[in-house]
Amino acid sequence: MKTSLLVSQILNGLATGMLYALMGIGLSIITGVLNIPNFAHGALFALGAYLLYSVIQLVGNFWLALLLAPLGVGLLGVLIEYGGIRPLYRAGHDYQLLLTFGLSLIVTESIIVVWSPVGMSQLPPPLLRGGVDLGITFYPKYRLFVMVAAALLVLGAWLFLEKTRYGAIMRAGIEDKEMVSLLGIDIHRLFTAAFALGCGLAGIAGALTAPIRGLNPWMGVDMLGIAFVVVALAGLGNLLGSIVAGLLVGVAQSLVALFWPEASVAVIFAVMAAILLVRPQGLFGIR
Amino acid sequence: MGTFTRRDVLKLGAAAAAAGLGFPAVLRAQAKEIPMLGLWSFTGAFSDVGPVLDRGMKLALDERGMKIQGKTIKYITRDDETKAGSATRRAEEAIDADGVKYIIGPWSSGVALAVSEVAKRKKVFHYFSGGTEDISGARCHRYSFQWAASPYTAAKTVVDTFMQANPKAKRWHLLVADYAFGWSVEKYVKEVGKTHGIEFVGADRHPLGEREFSNYVTKAAGNKPDVVVMINFGLDAVTGAREIFNFGLTPKIPLIMTWSSGVEELVQLAPEIRENIWVGSNFYYTADTPVAREFVKSYQAKFGGPPGYAPAAAYGMTRMLLHAMDKAKSTEVPDVIRACEGLEVDDLVGRMRVDPKTHQTLRPYFFMRCKTKAAMKNPMDFADIIATGSTPLPAEYAACKDIGAL
Repeated sequence: MKTSLLVSQILNGLATGMLYALMGIGLSIITGVLNIPNFAHGALFALGAYLLYSVIQLVGNFWLALLLAPLGVGLLGVLIEYGGIRPLYRAGHDYQLLLTFGLSLIVTESIIVVWSPVGMSQLPPPLLRGGVDLGITFYPKYRLFVMVAAALLVLGAWLFLEKTRYGAIMRAGIEDKEMVSLLGIDIHRLFTAAFALGCGLAGIAGALTAPIRGLNPWMGVDMLGIAFVVVALAGLGNLLGSIVAGLLVGVAQSLVALFWPEASVAVIFAVMAAILLVRPQGLFGIR
Repeated sequence: MGTFTRRDVLKLGAAAAAAGLGFPAVLRAQAKEIPMLGLWSFTGAFSDVGPVLDRGMKLALDERGMKIQGKTIKYITRDDETKAGSATRRAEEAIDADGVKYIIGPWSSGVALAVSEVAKRKKVFHYFSGGTEDISGARCHRYSFQWAASPYTAAKTVVDTFMQANPKAKRWHLLVADYAFGWSVEKYVKEVGKTHGIEFVGADRHPLGEREFSNYVTKAAGNKPDVVVMINFGLDAVTGAREIFNFGLTPKIPLIMTWSSGVEELVQLAPEIRENIWVGSNFYYTADTPVAREFVKSYQAKFGGPPGYAPAAAYGMTRMLLHAMDKAKSTEVPDVIRACEGLEVDDLVGRMRVDPKTHQTLRPYFFMRCKTKAAMKNPMDFADIIATGSTPLPAEYAACKDIGAL
């Protein structure tokens, strides 16, 4: 086994793992705070990618697009929570769940209507094209950027949740909603913020992925499955868990592809099944 | 609901049942209409191709004014959802309720094998274009025909032409979609490659629908190949090609897309990504035949862009069916089948002949080279055709030993 190949595969795993972690964190926040699995998470990931593409088409600036895409998806998240999920709060979790599922279909079909079902490519910005010689292997610049950017975003999310007052409120909301409400905090605004944050994270994950995977209306479908795996592995609402789980899944996928490529997708779910059998609450979860 | 009694419901039900029973009989009496089914995906994995397949078939029927031998052609479509269950159910419904006797489609090989069984059971004519060699191979029967070139023809055209242009490129790395189509083409590429002294330095199979190609690309790079060869289709091929470019393999070393849909895949890539990609396809719009030129002109006039393999296949299959009806001077399924067997015409891709023993259409396969951005004359000017090949599957590989009776 050549070292360069192993190193490349591990780097691949870390890059994809970081994206999985971002998706997992966003989903975990939503599931933790609002207690509904957001089935629209994959579609919102796709929307983030498409918004990046369109902004670049309009203004030609990748960096501006990278800022605006998640903001757009986050804003949509606010509208969804305020106009869709909140009115259904009294009807129960099942209806909110159904809503997110329906939204996933609506968002995907809207993407098809607006941008057409034909896939597209988005090249990385000229600064990030090509590769670097890392000595041990040659690696694409853009993937290294994604690793760093995703790591910074994950760090930012962690800092927000662990070190700010609002983050503390959000974590408290994951732990015990009723108590937070009893303490006089507007629980509805908390839900909207949590949902919007989760959606925004999905949006930026999608935007970062577009130059790697290109764009097509169903690009969020497999990401949704993996996001759920990451959340299940991490334990509900656990940020650190999502990071570890995301990286674990990414690296497992890459390393398995070395020996048994046909199983590289299945291994994600096999790892999840194996870990949940031993620890049903996930790696770091308590409930 | 006060005045609507149970008795009324029963009466309505009886009337509906009678109508339902009598309906096919009514249709059968309408011998002046020939219903034809286009089984396309309007939802599901291949839903981006459904609308263009519909265009192709309609164009071919419009050329005849929707009439054949004095009878009106009734063209209906059904959504197969790229699922075998939905496809077979809708095909059967169309046969039973709408009197369909001719089916063109579907697009997915897996779904097609299921539909082929329906065609055999219901004794309707079925033309399919796709990568599975089983339709004209292990699962052959009198009712199904294959329009796409045999994977052997494709492999031979691709390997022979490429080696002629790049005789020193002897180290090949294969990236293959892990299902029957991928395995068949891989088998033939290796067979033909052996005759050129090609060394296969690596061969990886990826699951169908794979989206994370980075792992395969780094493995490919590690083998230091002279060429990377992809045997996959659609989004798998597009995603793979993009990743191969992202990692800097192309344009330094060539990438071969062995069985591509041409326009439909290439349009999803950027010109920078397409540099040094060599493409094998069942159709490319610069094909130089009278029928192709007319088809491309009509298609472009009506829809704006050039047609890819999908609409061309739908168009081509419909034309072959109509030729068979002309030859048979009848629209009865057994007559048309017998006329189609051995049918030889100069049509969309050149000289085309249907092998009566296997129902495989023997016809040219195209091999193209993608253009650099600077050489493109317009945004759709993706590639030049550099060769065609028609070597049929050798008899010793033919899995269709007995095509059976009608």
